Amino acid sequence: MRLRYTTAFADDIEKQISFYTEKLGFKVADKKFLYNDSECPVLYTSSLDLFLIVANPGENSNSASYIILNTYDCLNDYHTLKLAGVCFNKEPQYLPMGLAAEFFDPGNNRVLLLEERNYNKS
Amino acid sequence: MDYFKTLRNNNKICSRTISEDHSRLFCSDFSIRFVLSGSEAYNLGRRNLSIYPDSFIVLNKGAQYSTNVVSDIPVQSFSINFDQKYVDDFVDGWRIDDNKLLSDVGSESKQSFEFKETIYPFQGDIMYNIFHLKNQLDNGLKDEMLINEYLHHCLINYFRIYDEEILMKAEKLNFLSPITKTEILRRLNLAKEYLCSNYNQNISLDELAKYSGLSITHLLRTFKQAFNLSPHQYLTAIRLRRARLLLKSTDYSINEVVSLVGFECPSSFIRLFRTNYNITPLKYRQIA
Repeated sequence: MRLRYTTAFADDIEKQISFYTEKLGFKVADKKFLYNDSECPVLYTSSLDLFLIVANPGENSNSASYIILNTYDCLNDYHTLKLAGVCFNKEPQYLPMGLAAEFFDPGNNRVLLLEERNYNKS
Repeated sequence: MDYFKTLRNNNKICSRTISEDHSRLFCSDFSIRFVLSGSEAYNLGRRNLSIYPDSFIVLNKGAQYSTNVVSDIPVQSFSINFDQKYVDDFVDGWRIDDNKLLSDVGSESKQSFEFKETIYPFQGDIMYNIFHLKNQLDNGLKDEMLINEYLHHCLINYFRIYDEEILMKAEKLNFLSPITKTEILRRLNLAKEYLCSNYNQNISLDELAKYSGLSITHLLRTFKQAFNLSPHQYLTAIRLRRARLLLKSTDYSINEVVSLVGFECPSSFIRLFRTNYNITPLKYRQIA
């Protein structure tokens, strides 16, 4: 068993796809029928091991995901995304795992931009 | 890569590669200085401090100092000078956000704001942020908003280090009077600087105590309270760190590394290295 897909819920699928592709640099890989009646776009970044499915929450309108995006340089990406119009609800702050900033995507999913740091290295 | 950059807010960043340099200088701004390869000696009054890639130094506005570099391999230094107004604004914001810190720093006025000019560990967040900043500048970054974002975080990181290295260590000393704690820590920092700068020499407890202005008994007791290590353990840790730097960045043989960092016996060096890092020096060199 392995982790293959995670989900970004959105009422407005097109708006969500634009956000992930134009602002965050994702690419559209495919479309898949997650349920019988709805075809969901599948997005990916650099890795082809884990895909992001953009799905309508349907009856579960309160559904939201917590997506963690890994970055090499949090401050650089935070700055670039801010210039691109992404509104951060948390500025870069230091967590036990590293430096992270947080925003909500148009579907109200929480997205954490995380630069993992090895604090045991000196 | 060498450059000197003055930002519109008057913060300045300098990256330079030097093999030989003797300068007597005056620090016009609060400054944080790093050495990314090799070492650079600073003379501050009667103190001689050597900075290596595992440490950095801060200089307050108005500090008079001289630097000395004599090295076969190029020394890569990187420094940031912060404009006074930038630092004052940062300190104001920091106090509002987190007024538990820096309670003893510059409480009378902004003009008296001074940090301890000593050696601090270059590790953790400040190391990541400085390497990112340098990497961006080496690749031609011109966006001053982003550069200042890195500088802002560099100050955040430094303030946290100051809190850990100065305020919390003073707090750990078993004295009632805050003035005594501050004074003992000042002397212990002299001992720490002496160990960091002369780690490759034979250092006796007697000379260390004399340099720091403490009796041997007092030095042993208070050093352990502040640093959780005896002076000898602290010295061994420095030697092992510096040995790691040499293994990573030079082709010196193990025996040469052993003598360069001040160990006398290769077998005890290898044993200590393996105990501390769970790897032998040779294997470390292969994967570093």
